[in-house]
Amino acid sequence: MDTQHGQDELIGKRLVPGGTGEVMIELRGVEKWFDDFQALTGVDLVVGRQETVVIAGPSGSGKSTLIRCINRLEQHDRGRIVVDGIELTDDLKDIQEIRRETGMVFQSFNLFPHLTILDNITLAPRHVRRKPKKEAEEQAMQLLERVRIPEQARKYPGQLSGGQQQRAAIARSLAMEPKVMLFDEPTSALDPEMIKEVLDTMEELAESGMTMMCVTHEMGFARHVADRVVFMSDGGIVEVDDPDTIFSNPREERTKLFLSQIL
Amino acid sequence: MAAAIDAPAAVPPVRPRDPVVWLRRNLFSSWPSAVATLVLAPAVAITLFRFVRFLVVDARWEIVRVNLALYLIGPFPRDQVGRLWIALAVLAVALGAGAGAIAATARETAEAAGRPLNAGWGERIRRAGPPVLLVVGILAFASGVEPVLLTVGALGLGAAAAAVTQRLSPRGRRAVPALTVLGIGASLAIISRFGGVPATDWGGLLITMFYTIGALLLAFPIGILFALGRRSTLPVVRWGCTAYVEFFRGSPLITLLFVGWLILPFFLPPDFPTPGLVTRALIIFVFFTSAYVAEIVRGGLQAVGRGQREAAQALGLTPWKQTRLVILPQALRAVIPGLVGQAISLFKDTTLVLIIGQSDLLAVSRSVTKQDQFLGQGYIVESLTFVAIVYWVISYWMSRESQRLEARLGVGTR
Repeated sequence: MDTQHGQDELIGKRLVPGGTGEVMIELRGVEKWFDDFQALTGVDLVVGRQETVVIAGPSGSGKSTLIRCINRLEQHDRGRIVVDGIELTDDLKDIQEIRRETGMVFQSFNLFPHLTILDNITLAPRHVRRKPKKEAEEQAMQLLERVRIPEQARKYPGQLSGGQQQRAAIARSLAMEPKVMLFDEPTSALDPEMIKEVLDTMEELAESGMTMMCVTHEMGFARHVADRVVFMSDGGIVEVDDPDTIFSNPREERTKLFLSQIL
Repeated sequence: MAAAIDAPAAVPPVRPRDPVVWLRRNLFSSWPSAVATLVLAPAVAITLFRFVRFLVVDARWEIVRVNLALYLIGPFPRDQVGRLWIALAVLAVALGAGAGAIAATARETAEAAGRPLNAGWGERIRRAGPPVLLVVGILAFASGVEPVLLTVGALGLGAAAAAVTQRLSPRGRRAVPALTVLGIGASLAIISRFGGVPATDWGGLLITMFYTIGALLLAFPIGILFALGRRSTLPVVRWGCTAYVEFFRGSPLITLLFVGWLILPFFLPPDFPTPGLVTRALIIFVFFTSAYVAEIVRGGLQAVGRGQREAAQALGLTPWKQTRLVILPQALRAVIPGLVGQAISLFKDTTLVLIIGQSDLLAVSRSVTKQDQFLGQGYIVESLTFVAIVYWVISYWMSRESQRLEARLGVGTR
């Protein structure tokens, strides 16, 4: 416990969750190996309810792997992951439960191309939550209003622009009424003029009190929306702090170097 | 905003449709292509001319006219033919109802997506071409008006059923698939049960279609299961499915039919009820075809991106629902051409049942030439031509419908 505490001091507010202060996601010593390459080298992080955490860092630093472990798209090899009081184990029930409470938005949208936007959104509520079709569709339309593409409901993903597709993907995740949203580089595959519409949607979501973990290179978004910014490098957390501090006064050399390259 | 733009509307360039330009561009674009055109065009023209002349002038079609019933039903007892007509009517209604429901669903989906189907008359005629050609081609050889009236009546009932189901509400249409399956089963029962004719006495086009449709209906779902099994995370399931697929793909169909016919009964325990000859042949066709279907579908499954599975997982769908709702529909769409190719191949492979002594369409086409009045006069040419055209029209029909389906499901466009 002492060493843990010492480390906390060393890297700022690492273990103090923001938001309401209640713990939503807890990561303790999370390790992940791909064969003999260690992708995560013992990550500790606590995310509070209603907090927005942005994870930044160079490519290959383990950002995506970290959030993909939270909903078991990757299986962590050591350490503990607890989401809203449920520990992620090999028990399929726990995995399903965590996935139901955790929405994820992907870099490549991953909308289901054979279904209309409306069917994409209602699929999980109907088949996982067993909602009646009509109710699920009403909810889907409300979500599409919220992400401002209600007129696209009956179209197929291939007929939409990238920005519209990503907003539809956000609506699809929200339809499960998740407690946590994970964003894995949601704007990296978008044309510049479409990035803003997606970031605006994410910002509104953060303001509505959603707990969010976002892997992104959009430093403007990190500065304005994030409660804390996590800087990762080589599979570990280098520095965690509020955006003002980390952007204007980073402590670690690696953070400084990364920020000087990206800003 | 629009008023501010006073530039003239852009006009696409006009491309003149000049036949001389077309010829020069397509047939005489270079010296080699001009030579090829000059050599091949007369060859094609002569072949076509001789083929058509044979069909309408030279061919002695009386062999087909006299034996039409043999071509269609083989040794099926003639006093039981009434059952076939009733079964045909039931089948027409069942399939018509199913087709109507599918068409209505397709229309509504397309309209909802904002791009109505708008099938023009040209498209409709082209689509109806092969089946109409088949029916008219066969009825042309019928003697008397009775078969014509009965056929037209059955098809009329089918069309009426389609018209009814097309007008049903989406809710009302829900019962249609079950009714269609029931109708297919009923038509089989009408022919073979209740003092009817066992399948061993069927023949001609009837037995060909029975094997084709029966084996397809069973082989497709089984093939899909084996394709999924080959990708299972459980090693035993994976190995079992791989062994099945590799065994049946690696054996010639004719060998498998012999095994089913002669060897299988030896391996079954003596008190075990040995399935009938036709059932055994059908099972062999199902095994053989499902192995190929499994490989085709496996290709489709591999073509679906990893992100699709991940998105389905992230939404909390159970593994089976991830596969059924997200992965499989996309995989099957991607392999429609391969699946239809397999269906056509099976349709033609059913001719091998002649080795177990059944008179299918092809077997009949040869045996009729041994009748006294046709013996030794080269009637095999007419007989085989007729059968070849029947096979070709049905195969072409399947192929056309698959292209339509592909276009409609938008393979490759999204």
